Amino acid sequence: MNEHAGLYIHVPFCRQKCEYCDFYSITRLEQVEEFVEALLAEIALRAAEFREQVFQTVFFGGGTPSLLSEEQLERIWRALQANFQIDPGGEFSIESNPGTLTLEKLIHFRALGFNRLSMGVQSFNPAELRFLGRIHSVEEVRENFRNAREAGFRNVNLDLMTAFPGLTGESFRYSMEQALALAPEHISCYTLIFEPGTVFYKKMRSGELNPLNEDEEAAYYELAREMLEAHGYCQYEISNFARGREHLCRHNLVYWEHRPYLGLGPSAHSFYRKVRWANKRSLTIYIKSLQKGQLPLDFREELSPEQLMFEYTFLGLRLREGLDTGEFRQRFGMDFQEKYRSAIRKLAENELVEWRDQYLRLSPRGWLVADTVAGYF
Amino acid sequence: MSIKNIRNFCIIAHIDHGKSTLADRLLEYTGTLQKRQMQDQVLDSMDLERERGITIKAHAVRMAYLAPDGQKYVFNLVDTPGHVDFSYEVSRSLAAAEGALLLVDAAQGVEAQTISNLYQAVDNNLVIIPVINKIDLPSAQAEVVKHQLMELIGCSESDILLASAKSGVGIPEIIQEIIDRIPPPSGDSQAPLQALIFDSQFDSYRGVVALVRVFSGEISEKDKILFMATDRSFEVEELGNLVLKRVRTGKLDTGQVGYLICGAKNVRDIKVGDTVTLAKNPALQPLPGYRQVKPMVYAGIYPVDSNDFEDLRTSLEKLVLNDSALHYEPETSSALGFGFRCGFLGMLHMEIVQERLEREFDQLIIVTTPNVVYKTILTSGEIQYVDNPTQMPAPGVLDKIEEPFIDAHVISPPEFIGNIMKLSNEKRGILKNTSYIDPTRADLHYHLPLAEVVFDYFDRLKSVSRGYASLDYEFLGYREGSLVKLDIFINGEVLDALSVIVHKEKAYEQGRSICQKLRKLIPRQMFEVVIQAGIGSKIIARESIKPLRKNVLAKCYGGDITRKRKLLEKQKEGKRRMKQFGRVEIPQEAFLSVLSTDD
Repeated sequence: MNEHAGLYIHVPFCRQKCEYCDFYSITRLEQVEEFVEALLAEIALRAAEFREQVFQTVFFGGGTPSLLSEEQLERIWRALQANFQIDPGGEFSIESNPGTLTLEKLIHFRALGFNRLSMGVQSFNPAELRFLGRIHSVEEVRENFRNAREAGFRNVNLDLMTAFPGLTGESFRYSMEQALALAPEHISCYTLIFEPGTVFYKKMRSGELNPLNEDEEAAYYELAREMLEAHGYCQYEISNFARGREHLCRHNLVYWEHRPYLGLGPSAHSFYRKVRWANKRSLTIYIKSLQKGQLPLDFREELSPEQLMFEYTFLGLRLREGLDTGEFRQRFGMDFQEKYRSAIRKLAENELVEWRDQYLRLSPRGWLVADTVAGYF
Repeated sequence: MSIKNIRNFCIIAHIDHGKSTLADRLLEYTGTLQKRQMQDQVLDSMDLERERGITIKAHAVRMAYLAPDGQKYVFNLVDTPGHVDFSYEVSRSLAAAEGALLLVDAAQGVEAQTISNLYQAVDNNLVIIPVINKIDLPSAQAEVVKHQLMELIGCSESDILLASAKSGVGIPEIIQEIIDRIPPPSGDSQAPLQALIFDSQFDSYRGVVALVRVFSGEISEKDKILFMATDRSFEVEELGNLVLKRVRTGKLDTGQVGYLICGAKNVRDIKVGDTVTLAKNPALQPLPGYRQVKPMVYAGIYPVDSNDFEDLRTSLEKLVLNDSALHYEPETSSALGFGFRCGFLGMLHMEIVQERLEREFDQLIIVTTPNVVYKTILTSGEIQYVDNPTQMPAPGVLDKIEEPFIDAHVISPPEFIGNIMKLSNEKRGILKNTSYIDPTRADLHYHLPLAEVVFDYFDRLKSVSRGYASLDYEFLGYREGSLVKLDIFINGEVLDALSVIVHKEKAYEQGRSICQKLRKLIPRQMFEVVIQAGIGSKIIARESIKPLRKNVLAKCYGGDITRKRKLLEKQKEGKRRMKQFGRVEIPQEAFLSVLSTDD
């Protein structure tokens, strides 16, 4: 089996933690170099197992990968090239925080081979940026974006946040317009989630923050979709929009299409040959394990056929294209319609799903209740 | 062992007053059990009993005791359940003994339950030994409780023992008083056999194990015996004493307490209160006091998944083997499919059955709103008893409905009388009399409709009296009531399992309250859900649940699919526990909690 596969590098550092974010990251920047050393060790340890696998996408996420020095990025990149088969025509993304992107740095990213840049913008309203705990200014977004274009990035994503407490329709419309004015190739628009362990979660529990109700969230979500689609962005996943097929995020599609990926770095998740595993969510343990020549494994689970089919289904349904029942049969040797007959019938009765050739996909009303739909399978 | 050296006794106490701890200390002091062998409170053997701190089923323990004067004694402690649902069982246990330790918490004082059991004990001519327990508690008021006891049983102060079962204080004195004050059993060992069944248990290998007290005659293994009330005959397979476990003796004489195994496979053959006699030389009459136990409260029990019906049947069959008070028969509901109508002694009994089905038998069940048995008189003069609201005869043929009333005693410190009267009034209670046991304890005597008491009277009584009031009741009889059947409609369809019989004047209020509760309990669905309450075809309340707008986690990247899958699996599990009614998914709680008035 040598299908599309992705390689993910988790860089667990930020200048400052955003209060809503639950990805693993720390602010002890003095440990960056130790991290890089450990990462190189992990790459070497994983090389043999993945020798046969070609990776079509590489994604540096975090954290804030753009905090790494040029030299550090280069060493990691070289190690990846040396240890894994990476398709030269692939998609190579790096996540960044506005405010960290000088023209020089961006030129260097391009020189290393990165061809897609993702910027965590979230909002164009300074008060909202402060509320979310972001450290950049609105002006820096525009300037960094110009730098990215100048450096030659022709595939840029902006992350926007919606449905957080205090947001107004007017303000959200404004942020959206500002983002659209920059004409990025891709926009991810996420509804705020109060994740356990975050500052926002604590504030919600103590009553300091009140999440929006379901109807308000739905209204923001629909407003975002309307505006983006009106400007030629196609919604290809629950929260993701692209101008044209060539700008879909190929790396994230690996997750949604249930294809294999290898995650490196603390807290990174992997999926390969029916097994899911994750690394320890602690830089200290990560470093210590690798210093002893051990993999920093947090858990490992082998999925049952039932679990694999369920995952394939709920992930596939997140895509506009829907779930490919032909591929389902190929993968699992089972007829999708037969397996989930009563679920499909109930969903169709409630007009939550629709068929397009061999694809089962969410109906327009199904989009907003995708998790409920998943519960039927 | 001479009959002179046998002492049969029980312990009368309110929940939490320390009965089980005292029993443990007696076992320890008599050497029946070493301290290190003890698991705390050995008498409460079911997990559920231990958790709830109550004894559900009566047990018996035999203790051999060598007194300081060199005499050997046998003590049979007959344990009694401590809840109002089980008052008949209590009465039979009391009948098996000659004496009772009346155990009262030094801080709590005398409670209603204790008093009613005490009166039963006195009626059974038991010698009462008052014991004040927990005297080492900082809040102990031994003097106050002493006076309560003196008023209650007319004893003198010197008759009252002080103890702390927890720390072992007063245990030797209690043992001595058992010997000195409780009379040995009397009875004619030459007369025909009369043995009282005061409890039965089920052993999966041996069948029914009856606990018996021999009042006259004697019984040996291989004897042909007759159960006088059920008129069933068996041959005795094994006889012996219960010393925490069964110890075979082959014989039981007059005055003795022990177990009897006779190959009976069905607990219904061996009824608590029945008399065992010999088939060859039967007693002229049975011992007094036998009563057929009738369920007071009924509810439907349904499998969440209709395919599990047979599983549920098997579980109930097994469960009744050691719970002969539970009645069940199959019924069908248009909303819930195939299930069982179950009869219980009371609400506690119902909860115990529900929990046992879920825990011991792993059944996923829905229990419908409980109801009492109504007596309906048709225009034709025919009388029908109705244990399920959906079977209420049509208004056209119905002349009148009667409902069960109870005779209740509420005992409480006087400062809560106002609250209690308000609550009881709301529950349609009729105050018959108010008296004082002592200046700190009032006894409010009420006649109350059982239906009102069934749901939350006891809990609310506790809350309006800050836990001080206690309740005891017995069945009084049927009285005509102004009652109507209230139906609940979900998207226009009657959800029969939610139908309830209510008092006419309360119908509007209850209809509204049920609709509001359901609105909160039923999650938003993919479409609007309309909930209505109606009497006949007349709608008296309406609520609606807006369709679900949004349920999707925005973020599904970063590769952590495991967490996402687990969240969805959890959601699926929640969905599995819901009952499908038409297209509407209804959670289990909705079926039971509609009539509760907490919130």
